[in-house]
Amino acid sequence: MGIDSARVSTRAGAPIRVARTKQQAGALDVLMALTVADMRVRYGRGTRRLLKWLLDPFALVGVYLLLDTIVLNVSGEAPGLSLACAVVPFQLIMSTVINAMMAVTTRRTIILNMAFKRVLLPVSSVLTESAAFIASLTILALMMIIYQIAPTPAIAWLPLVLVVNVFFALGFAYPASLFGLWFRDLRNIGISFVRTLFFLAAGLVPLAQIHGRAHDWLRLNPLTGLFEAYRSVLLFGHAPAFWELAYPVGCACVLLILFVPLYNHEQRQFAKVVE
Amino acid sequence: MSLIQAEGLGVRFLFDRQRNVVPPTLARLRRRGSENWGLHDVSFTIQSGDGVALLGPSGSGKTTLLRTIAGVLEPDAGRIEIEGRLASLLSIDAGLLPVLTGRENAQLLGVLAGLSRRQTAAALDGIKARSGLDSHFERPVSSFSQGMRARLGFSVADSVDPQILLLDEVHEALDHEFRDVVEQRAQTILNNGGIVVAAGHDHPMLERLCNRAFLLVDGSLEDDGEFAEVQRAYLCA
Repeated sequence: MGIDSARVSTRAGAPIRVARTKQQAGALDVLMALTVADMRVRYGRGTRRLLKWLLDPFALVGVYLLLDTIVLNVSGEAPGLSLACAVVPFQLIMSTVINAMMAVTTRRTIILNMAFKRVLLPVSSVLTESAAFIASLTILALMMIIYQIAPTPAIAWLPLVLVVNVFFALGFAYPASLFGLWFRDLRNIGISFVRTLFFLAAGLVPLAQIHGRAHDWLRLNPLTGLFEAYRSVLLFGHAPAFWELAYPVGCACVLLILFVPLYNHEQRQFAKVVE
Repeated sequence: MSLIQAEGLGVRFLFDRQRNVVPPTLARLRRRGSENWGLHDVSFTIQSGDGVALLGPSGSGKTTLLRTIAGVLEPDAGRIEIEGRLASLLSIDAGLLPVLTGRENAQLLGVLAGLSRRQTAAALDGIKARSGLDSHFERPVSSFSQGMRARLGFSVADSVDPQILLLDEVHEALDHEFRDVVEQRAQTILNNGGIVVAAGHDHPMLERLCNRAFLLVDGSLEDDGEFAEVQRAYLCA
């Protein structure tokens, strides 16, 4: 058994030393255990689990989609698919943020009872929501069938676009976790802020239909790049532009560089705060 | 060989003006409230074979000390060194998630306690048998009594074959039958050169398990000695 040591400093500069026998399971095991438990809480157990998994995205996204295509009557090429290319990836971001905001407090009993790699909690939120997200891809397929849009070779880019989507959600997960813990009373405001980002991106209509300064402003929102990447691959049938993938990845990297060290520092205090 | 050694150990709690605990980063952003040292300048060494009872009034720092030893809380001052596989039962909920069944909770907590997923899967039958929950093991924990939760929590903790066992009053929620199981297990750990640290108000049980006691008052270690001697000092204070 090895000794796992950490040395940190107080503000006053006095050294603190914690040394303990290594006793933690591998990160992958912890991550899988947290995610599987989270999925069970979400979807229950038994045969209805698969049905709930498949229908949940339609409940979350489908109604919103019908409202925008039928009630708002958005025009353009395959408006339902265009909208789905924004709503589906955004749903992953949104649900990750909501999950991550609750990730620490819902595991209060575990945090107060045992030491484990708490830095993995936001990653677990992303994995749980990604599993739900996979089911929501059926909406994209359904829209392609409805609008009779056949897949092109550009669909080979889809896995990369999905990876960028998940990575972008991961970027949001760490700040969302800290925000949800620090400002519990303001969680709904945090959720509204993220929802606002959808409307400040090329979500309801593709970027190509927006002109002038609004076009330039919307490109500053990394969600625009993400939505356009889906449209490029599924709707327009060509490879996504470099910026459509690189910009969301860059933004996620900035968020991770800023917030993972902060989260790692703060997780030492979780048991005090959730008490 | 097991060891717990602390030197100048301190754990600080920061409060905002509404007396909510806030993390240091937030305390820096908000107007400063107050602070309280849950543990202050605590030093001790616990050697192999020691059973240590933590005595003291409510709010004296017993739970904070156990959580610091368990790694749930990290110290804000001083140093702590722990050698040996550790298992803890620090709350009646035992880290259990009410929506999950006993088996599903055991699958999660086994991994968080330090076993791999494969080891946890292999240990499930043993956990079920040790807990004595029988068919309840397959039911949601929300339907469990406090005693049943403590049984499951202890059985999972025990599955890592601990050399150091931490108990925080939880054993007091157990029925007599399972109390005997916990006592026997704790005794085995001690006989094998392990360490047991237990807090609670059931002094006869603590006396059976512990040859030594700490008296904590307002986060400070006021007395460290033989159980009977420290208990007398506590009861007379």
